[in-house]
Amino acid sequence: MLIKRTQRQRSEAQSRGSIAASLSAQGGGFDRRAFLRRSGVVGGGLAALSTLPVGSVRKAEAAMAGPLTSGATVRKSVCTHCSVGCTVTAEVLNGVWIGQEPSWASPINRGSHCAKGASVRELVHSDRRLRYPMKLVDGKWTRVSWDTAVNEIGDKLLQIREKSSGDSVYWLGSAKMTNEGAYLFRKLGAFWGTNNTDHQARICHSTTVTGVANTWGYGAMTNSFNDIRNAKTQMIMGGNPAEAHPVSLQHLLEGKELQKANFIVIDPRLTRTAAHATEYVRMRPGTDIPVLYGMMWHILQNGWEDKEFIKQRVYGFDDLRKEVDKWNPEEVERVSGIPGEQLKRVAKIFATEKPSTLIWAMGQTQKTVGTANVRTSCILLLMTGNVGKAGTGANIFRGHDNVQGATDVGLDIVTLPFYYGLAEGAWKHWSRVWEVDYDFLKSRFESKQIMETPGIPLTRWFDAVTLPKDQVAQKDNVRAVFVQGHASNSITRIPESLNGLKALELLVIADPHPTTWASLAVEAGRKDGVYILPVATQFECKGSRVASNRSLQWGEQIVKPIFESKDDLEVIYLMAKKFGFAEQMFKNIKVENNLPEAEDVLREMNRGSWSTGYCGQSPERLKAHMKKQAKFDMLTMRAPKDDPEVGGDYYGLPWPCWGSPDVRHPGTPLLYNTNLGVMDGGGTFRPRFGIEREEKLPDGTTRKVSLLADGSYSKDSEIKDGYPEFTLASLKKLGWDKDLTEAEMATIDKVNPANPDAVSWSLDLSGGIQRVALMHGCVPYGNGKARMNAFGLPDPIPVHREPIYTPRVDLVAKYPTLPDAKQFRVPNIGFSVQKAAVEKGIAKQFPLILSSGRLVEYEGGGEETRTNPWLAELQQDMFIEISPADAADRGIKDGGWVWVTGAESDSKAKMKALVTERVGKGVAWMPFHFGGWFAGRDLRGNYPKGTDPFVLGESANTITTYGYDPATGMQEPKVTLCQIAAA
Amino acid sequence: MASFGRYIRLALGAWAFVLLVAISMPAAAQQVNPTASSVKEQQLLQELNRIQGRVSIPDQRSGVLEQPAGRDWREFRNVTLRWVGGIAILGMLALLVVFYLSRGMVRLQSGRSGRTVERFSAFERFVHWMTATCFIILAVSGLNITFGRPLLLPLIGFEAFSEWSQWAKYAHNYLSFPFTIGVVLIFLMWIGGNIPNKMDIQWIKRGGGIVGHDHPPAYRFNAGQKAIYWIVVIGGGLVAATGYELMFPFYLSGIEGMQLAQIVHSIVAVLFIAVMFAHIYIGTIGMEGAFEAMGSGTVDVNWAREHHSLWLEEQSARTGPNGTQPQPATAAE
Amino acid sequence: MARMKFLCDADRCIECNACVTACKNEHEVPWGINRRRVVTINDGKPGERSISMACMHCTDAPCQAVCPVNCFYTTADGVVLHSKDLCIGCGYCFYACPFGAPQYPKVGNFGSRGKMDKCTFCAGGPEADGSKEEYEKYGANRLAEGKLPLCAEMCSTKSLLAGDGEIIAQIYKERVTKRGYGSGAWGWKTAYRETIGS
Repeated sequence: MLIKRTQRQRSEAQSRGSIAASLSAQGGGFDRRAFLRRSGVVGGGLAALSTLPVGSVRKAEAAMAGPLTSGATVRKSVCTHCSVGCTVTAEVLNGVWIGQEPSWASPINRGSHCAKGASVRELVHSDRRLRYPMKLVDGKWTRVSWDTAVNEIGDKLLQIREKSSGDSVYWLGSAKMTNEGAYLFRKLGAFWGTNNTDHQARICHSTTVTGVANTWGYGAMTNSFNDIRNAKTQMIMGGNPAEAHPVSLQHLLEGKELQKANFIVIDPRLTRTAAHATEYVRMRPGTDIPVLYGMMWHILQNGWEDKEFIKQRVYGFDDLRKEVDKWNPEEVERVSGIPGEQLKRVAKIFATEKPSTLIWAMGQTQKTVGTANVRTSCILLLMTGNVGKAGTGANIFRGHDNVQGATDVGLDIVTLPFYYGLAEGAWKHWSRVWEVDYDFLKSRFESKQIMETPGIPLTRWFDAVTLPKDQVAQKDNVRAVFVQGHASNSITRIPESLNGLKALELLVIADPHPTTWASLAVEAGRKDGVYILPVATQFECKGSRVASNRSLQWGEQIVKPIFESKDDLEVIYLMAKKFGFAEQMFKNIKVENNLPEAEDVLREMNRGSWSTGYCGQSPERLKAHMKKQAKFDMLTMRAPKDDPEVGGDYYGLPWPCWGSPDVRHPGTPLLYNTNLGVMDGGGTFRPRFGIEREEKLPDGTTRKVSLLADGSYSKDSEIKDGYPEFTLASLKKLGWDKDLTEAEMATIDKVNPANPDAVSWSLDLSGGIQRVALMHGCVPYGNGKARMNAFGLPDPIPVHREPIYTPRVDLVAKYPTLPDAKQFRVPNIGFSVQKAAVEKGIAKQFPLILSSGRLVEYEGGGEETRTNPWLAELQQDMFIEISPADAADRGIKDGGWVWVTGAESDSKAKMKALVTERVGKGVAWMPFHFGGWFAGRDLRGNYPKGTDPFVLGESANTITTYGYDPATGMQEPKVTLCQIAAA
Repeated sequence: MASFGRYIRLALGAWAFVLLVAISMPAAAQQVNPTASSVKEQQLLQELNRIQGRVSIPDQRSGVLEQPAGRDWREFRNVTLRWVGGIAILGMLALLVVFYLSRGMVRLQSGRSGRTVERFSAFERFVHWMTATCFIILAVSGLNITFGRPLLLPLIGFEAFSEWSQWAKYAHNYLSFPFTIGVVLIFLMWIGGNIPNKMDIQWIKRGGGIVGHDHPPAYRFNAGQKAIYWIVVIGGGLVAATGYELMFPFYLSGIEGMQLAQIVHSIVAVLFIAVMFAHIYIGTIGMEGAFEAMGSGTVDVNWAREHHSLWLEEQSARTGPNGTQPQPATAAE
Repeated sequence: MARMKFLCDADRCIECNACVTACKNEHEVPWGINRRRVVTINDGKPGERSISMACMHCTDAPCQAVCPVNCFYTTADGVVLHSKDLCIGCGYCFYACPFGAPQYPKVGNFGSRGKMDKCTFCAGGPEADGSKEEYEKYGANRLAEGKLPLCAEMCSTKSLLAGDGEIIAQIYKERVTKRGYGSGAWGWKTAYRETIGS
């Protein structure tokens, strides 16, 4: 028997370690290993053991210390692959990222990762990343310098702007950017003079943001992953967090176990999440509203609703009831396929075994009825009183790591940062924050009217390029796209997007990878007019990111940008400089070597983000949170009050974090929670849509109904009833204006010299109005009712509408999609398309419902993750799931090649079949992360040499079809039709 | 035919559909509780003695999660095989020693005639010796795999043993090719003389003349040699086939197949080795004049008469008495 | 001394493959070598369960028993390791292993499959702890640093447990008692000849 040469003495360390791993107690890192990674460089000495600041840790016996003992430093950032917000702990030696360690101290991931998080190190040091800027010359990728690239791009853009106005350049940003990057990108759009600035939220949760905000004030996850542990019933409808948000399952499954909770999954697929359900309900894709109404029908029938809650905090219940009455069990079963008994049981559990939470993701949002879907979900929560308490809420799992933040900072077509909108008041607010002249900003636009008109959604960028000029409601078509960190294969209707790619005059791709923008641009026949700029991954940048639960986390720069890559902020600065407005744009932001300082950008946001409560999260506070992660409780996410730096704070200061940083608001872990005082994170529904509404009664008369809360208020509020938002005038009325300081009054006077009384909590740059409201236990935005009737939306009470391409043509007459209309500067002809599909008998030619979704190994368009060998090895082929019955009908074998054909553009795609009972008969499903093939052809040669991802495959969106949510421009990749044949 | 197949498929499809409906109907009405219906390890093991599932990596054999059958194989390899091999080989050696001691070398009763007759051509001898050389090396390297660890390793230590075993393994793998070719050639070139016939029964009845001084008549190959021939051909074929299966893992079978292949390979091999000891014994110290057959290729006529009388008659009939060659006088005197 | 074991709680495993990539990351395992893998049983059906599997570091390990050159050894912690210097790539351990743990850099056995590679429980090999040679041949030696295998430490749902067998068995038992169900400690009977109440 061989004998290990070194005797170890570490029994104690071990038992600690095993408890740490298994009980997941906080514990942590010892000194780092004593050797270098292959990529590392020799260095360091014996000393300099890393300084992971975690509890009761004792240094490992230094028996390990060898000649290569590392002097690695530990840096913390945030995983870039989903919105859970897992801390990534990196060990860096001599500028090389040599290893990852579990982040025990993070209350969110508690050491854990998924496949993507556990392999992020490779993203940074990958040798398949872009190394230098490139330009397509005569169909060949040619190296250029940054200076040349920026100059040529800038000249061309300015030329387009000159001729066609700023709106002809489409600025497509990214949810991968930090808040600072996304904010500057939006600001760049504003200074450039367009609202055509968008990012992934459009195709992710734009419908959630709109639908949920229109219900109760803010469009975000109300609670947190950790809080789900408190739920007695977890219902997941339209989400597969086991693959999309794996680390969240830690909280969900532990909650399920500890609470002996119900775990209900309603989904067309028996997903990896559903495998752990206590009740699985299979539904027909695209029937979320009937299913939810079907549940509500049982709830109302049996009196399981929360009457007190509805009376105090809900508006429009009677209007809703009328709609629910239509959805008796027979009709629900006819439309959705779910038996009445099963739905009754689920409804009863959800309404009576409380607290209940409803979790959703793309399954609800990516539909033509996305906004209505999420509205219906909110209504179910309101009806059962499941909002604003621990264990309840709309737990909306966002997609990208910073999609919540990028949305909040206004990288969007309908608003300036922090949901101020696009009206004159909003522009004036931001011109005050930015300290530039309002008239200067106005001069940047073609007209004041277009300045205040929402831009074109990214889902329609190619329509905006190719539609006849008179159909695009701006001066000219889109002629250039500047895309920084967004995939093209995650956008539907790829065959038609090729026309857009061909017609563009300029395409700029700023990304760590060439992405399918590059490979498809070449496929579309382009020979020039495409630039690729290497941009650093977020691990090479510092800044704040917002997790799905609204917590902000500050990520350190782990290593400097690799090769010639540049930080997002630097790229934005270089463009602004080229355009000639860098000085104004970066007036209050320190810039060093063309790199704006992230901390300063965040401070500027703090100064202008009163509406959303991003005002309290100073860089200093955020950094302290990252440093003291271990202080925060795993369940409540709160730090003990006695800590001098983070005492009493909730982890990551989840927004809204009211007042200026020195108010030390702790953040709001659960939105609308009246059980807590507002200074402890409590809150109320936001009266955002007026304080009363005139309703027409059946007899023709009208009555005024209050939209303010009725007898409900947050704990310790001095106003014991509903109240509107705070303005200087309302403070005066209450006699609280005396609490304002002189300096605050002076600032308020400056905000609106003509009428200081009109200055509200969200426009007051001093924060004084907020401070005083908080002092009196009141929420600055007021205390209103949530709206079951969201007047102003296309369907104020949600209405079921069949998908554009539905197999149930018999239902289209009764449940048609909304009429054609012009939305977001472009026509939405969904109704005509649906009608034509029915008339042409598309459902007979393409009888299978096609849905799409996520694999755990990949993210988004997937180029980045398919370039990571550790991930790519695990999923090497694009595939389509098909039920055994449908496969048998078609002679398709498991693992065999098939052609999938779509209902539009003669689309076709070749991939492997996965025959599985996971999908029901009549339903097929594809992952949407693949790219680099088109219509059966391998486009590997279209990538710049050495930058092609390891794994290529057909994109699901080659097959997806027309369909846009009227309220947001959301695409419809979740329900369309297809046919499958053995290849 | 095609339509018949289609009919079958349709019928099967219909049945599958009926079954599916039958299964799904109550399921739809009842609760689908994936937590409660989770698969259990022990249950699966009892049903199939292996647990298999789906993996996303291309290496589909890694879909076998658990396969306790390796335990039986281990028992075979570490215990059964060592006993069987040990007994077979040592037993045979013991037998031969005892036999030699009791019987001594089988002498030419009539002495050497001084005339020889060609028994094996140069090509035949080449094939024999090629095969034989390979066999010896394969046997030694093969025995090393089974017995080296308890016997040789303690003597020479880990590093040396591993180094030697590594080379032995290379030799084992590479020499399998000439060995296989040899077995095939042996099969082809000597099949004519090795078809069993009625003389063999007589030969066997008379115990091959091993006991006593009998000389049962035989053609070119007597029943004993035929036995060796068939053992070489069949045994060699088996070890070759199973060896190649092991050399190219997963081309032909999964783990169970390879375990079985190894069992067949090793058992046949040790028996083969034991038999070959006997063959070598008879061909060398066991019998006077036998080695020459494969040595020079010619045998003394008297030897041929005593051991292969019928063959000698055949040879004489074909070539006449002059077919035999007088040995050089010097050699005879 | 503690007896190290792995335990995969299938009622927690969601096939997220974090264990797989954590392993690749920690040891720079090349493409095609899968020291750890996740297998899904009853894929797509109610009752589907995924199990993460690697070398279980068996009691009386079969690989060790059948190795012709005796290149395996069991550490005082019960971790089954091997010497790549001694390994001759014969594949016998693969025939004997109930869990498909041994991996070979080459597909065929002609000449050699190359040196066998497998999960080390993040405990390296016979070279000096933490040495460069050890890292290059076997990967990181976390155990010597007082850390546990990274696959388990990074498991997204705390499904995969690694550590002192008694402690992790206790944790699993408590879980099963608390939640009221459990599909068993997969592989324990085969590897350690014991089962934990399920």
